[in-house]
Amino acid sequence: MHSPTTSGTLPREIQTVVVGGGILGQCVAGFLAEEGREVAIIDAGRPEGTTTNAGSLHVQMQSRFMRMHLDQVPALESGLHLYPKAVEFWFELQRHLDADFGLKASGGLMVAESREQLDFLAKKAERERSLGLDSKILDRDELSQIAPYLGPAVVGAELCAAEGRLDALKANMALRRWVRRVGVMVTGETSVDRVSRDGERFKLDTSRGTVRAATLVIAAGPGSLALAEPFGLTLPVESEPLHMNITEPTDLFMGHLVQHADRMITVKQLSSGHVVIGGGWPADLSPSEDYAVVRLSSIIGNTSLAQHIVPAIGGLRIIRSWAGINTPTGGPGILGPIHGAPNAFLAIPGEAGYTLGPLSARLVADAVLGRRPTEDLAPFSPSRFR
Amino acid sequence: MKIEFEGEALEARPGESLAATLTAQGIRSFRTTERGAERGVFCGMGVCQDCLVEVDGKPNQRACTVKVDRPMKVRREGSGRALAASCPAAGRPPITIEEIPVERPQVLVVGAGPGGLAAAYAARLAGAEVLVLDEGSAPGGQYFKQCSAADVASPDAQHQEGRRLIDDVLGSGVTVRSNVSVWGAFRPLEFAATKPGGSFLVQPEQAIIATGAFDRGWPVPGWTLPGVMTTGAAQTLWRTARRLPGKRVLIAGNGPLNLQLAVELVAGGADVVAVVEAAPAVGVRRVREIAAMLANAPRLVADGVRYISTCRRAGVRLINGSVLTSVTPHSGGLRATIAGREAATFDVDVVCVGYGFHPSNELLRALGCEHAFDPEQGRLVTVRDTRGKASVDGVWALGDCTTLGGARVGQAEGTLVGFAAARTIGCALSAEAVRLEAQAAADAARHRRFQRALWQMYRMDESLRVRPTGDTVMCRCEEVTYGQVEAALAEGATSPGEIKQETRLGMGLCQARYCGPALETFLAEQTGRSQDETSGFAPRVPVKPVSVDDLSSPAGA
Repeated sequence: MHSPTTSGTLPREIQTVVVGGGILGQCVAGFLAEEGREVAIIDAGRPEGTTTNAGSLHVQMQSRFMRMHLDQVPALESGLHLYPKAVEFWFELQRHLDADFGLKASGGLMVAESREQLDFLAKKAERERSLGLDSKILDRDELSQIAPYLGPAVVGAELCAAEGRLDALKANMALRRWVRRVGVMVTGETSVDRVSRDGERFKLDTSRGTVRAATLVIAAGPGSLALAEPFGLTLPVESEPLHMNITEPTDLFMGHLVQHADRMITVKQLSSGHVVIGGGWPADLSPSEDYAVVRLSSIIGNTSLAQHIVPAIGGLRIIRSWAGINTPTGGPGILGPIHGAPNAFLAIPGEAGYTLGPLSARLVADAVLGRRPTEDLAPFSPSRFR
Repeated sequence: MKIEFEGEALEARPGESLAATLTAQGIRSFRTTERGAERGVFCGMGVCQDCLVEVDGKPNQRACTVKVDRPMKVRREGSGRALAASCPAAGRPPITIEEIPVERPQVLVVGAGPGGLAAAYAARLAGAEVLVLDEGSAPGGQYFKQCSAADVASPDAQHQEGRRLIDDVLGSGVTVRSNVSVWGAFRPLEFAATKPGGSFLVQPEQAIIATGAFDRGWPVPGWTLPGVMTTGAAQTLWRTARRLPGKRVLIAGNGPLNLQLAVELVAGGADVVAVVEAAPAVGVRRVREIAAMLANAPRLVADGVRYISTCRRAGVRLINGSVLTSVTPHSGGLRATIAGREAATFDVDVVCVGYGFHPSNELLRALGCEHAFDPEQGRLVTVRDTRGKASVDGVWALGDCTTLGGARVGQAEGTLVGFAAARTIGCALSAEAVRLEAQAAADAARHRRFQRALWQMYRMDESLRVRPTGDTVMCRCEEVTYGQVEAALAEGATSPGEIKQETRLGMGLCQARYCGPALETFLAEQTGRSQDETSGFAPRVPVKPVSVDDLSSPAGA
């Protein structure tokens, strides 16, 4: 639901404009404003996320993704080191804001239902260990010790220590307050139709008038494709509507982020006791293509698969489903300066974008501020798509 | 029949609801919330989710919808209780939507109240194949709800009238399924439903939505206390099980239903201390309205007069121009305070609140049917053409779920919509059907005139609206207070969506059915912004919670 009151005043002239008010846009804007920059966020929908993320903190490689896109595995591996650091950074940000995001990193389990699946996970875990992740294989007995809630169909699992979850509602609320506190101007329900150069500045034609800015950060998810085109970039970003379900709350009985070796699923319990079921089941785009709507087959299929893995949720009720838009990039994120366009930057995090969000934003903010980012941005350079 | 509650044996009447059994034993607190507050029966019709208990190890069962048909072990529900008892050893094999059975009736009717039943009967009479799905344990809806408990007093005229309609419908060859929750509606025209033990889908040619209404909340301090329930809830206890909500009862609200309840409870032996009506007393100024009511529904006026005289004879105080302002616990019972023309306190067992209704339009909104905001009623009204067709192809809507008009209007509209939907799929109407259709059109017009005059007479004084205190609960499910909403506004939240994110208001089990309208009113007051059709929360499926087990099980034949 959109309400006109979410739209703030649109500035005409601003030092730095961030297009997109999702996790990336919010964090980039917040970091820049903390350094004294004058920053405005323009969002086509509701800022701080038109929809709320499900709150998984992903680290290990998604095995289903690996099987489907074998060609992209090397690219995925090149960015893998960022994931554990990104989870770390979520904790750092929570401390920095003195907020409670409902963060928990007590490990992620990717379960196997067959010997073959477990063998595949073993190879995957070995590869991930060589890339610096803390991953190991657990047999059924070991698994029963730490995850007694798993159903009998599960024969073993890969445990990735750094994975976890957070309560995206809490995190988004804290980020919204922070962004406002540090003086970011936030304007919602304003689409940016065209970006062009106007001398030293950028000119943004929006649905509510023209905005000029010295620095431009594009953090608009799938909308970044059109915005980056004037700079000669063809970004491989897509719009992927995804479906999520949530149960009524119950006692805290599962501490892990649970996934499957061969099927799309994530199951986790938030600090509030609600169990969130998601993991990439499809939703639909609205006829206007600007928001996602839930899909009946995903309510049934996703939930049914979840109780197969975690039978204890069978007695709970689904109280809500919702859908959001993911932005696959076909590999690692697209972060940093657009070469040939001074003071223009891209901020698209890539696979598991919410996990990578704050750290990716920090790296982009450092680039904007002319500092050396803590990570080499070369593998994430927008120039790949020139 | 014996059931066990928290280890104690209780006597139950077979067929009554678990809520009726427990209430009859004086048990009012059914569960404890996350913040340690006690809750019990509030809506009595499966909407508010406050009467949750554990039944035979199954968590979060609504006591008001669980039928006592076997000896059962019942426990109070607590926040964060372990799932162990209900945890099956093994999950079911995963299924996909392809395994869920699909039914394709010509006409689907959702809701078996007066309107839904009349629509089903008419469509069937015209020759259509009709399936009726209803959440209740028996057809009849809230108005014609039948006595479900065995061996209790004989049915009254309202029961009997409902029985005749139900029998007509069943005898006509309509398929009626009770205990079915229709929890989702999807474009172009697909409905998701569960019955005990599994899920099924319905893809009808035409869908008639007749989902009625639910009692409005009355957010004042103490409105969440066990023992404070809606007039509808108290009436359901009495009309389905001949159980009294308590011995000493205060009824406060707006409209004639409160008087009817008083008469029913008095007949059952309750001590109804007063009926506190928000509208001013009927004076000579109302002669036009009374004449209009007499002209259009003399029998209903006679009922009203009888209610008032019965109350007077029984010593029930009839107080006008006053409203309930707070309820506090008081020596094992409740102390209710009223203000307005008369200020008073009453020490009672139970407080019934009946301040009108909200339309159950969730399925219509989930389908994307157009709605308009009616500032007069302060609610959304379903946009329909003169025949009752909604803006989405194949969707018809009638009765209280579209806009409030009461059972008689709903029933007449049902007949009209049933025939119209049948015509759309090529059915021809017999001469008898055409006569019934004309009769229904006249009835609908007559009862709308009656309703207009009635509510003119019962128009409550807006200055009596209670200004809730900061610690008054706005959102029952997530226990969000008016103070917290004010704090969120102070933090810069402006829209309902932001307030939801800040406070969790509206994210609970009842799907914002009570707090949504309360928030809208509050925001309008605070910001001076008027409400419109874009206000409030977008509907989310499932529109009623649905169990993971049921979702994972294809319904058997």
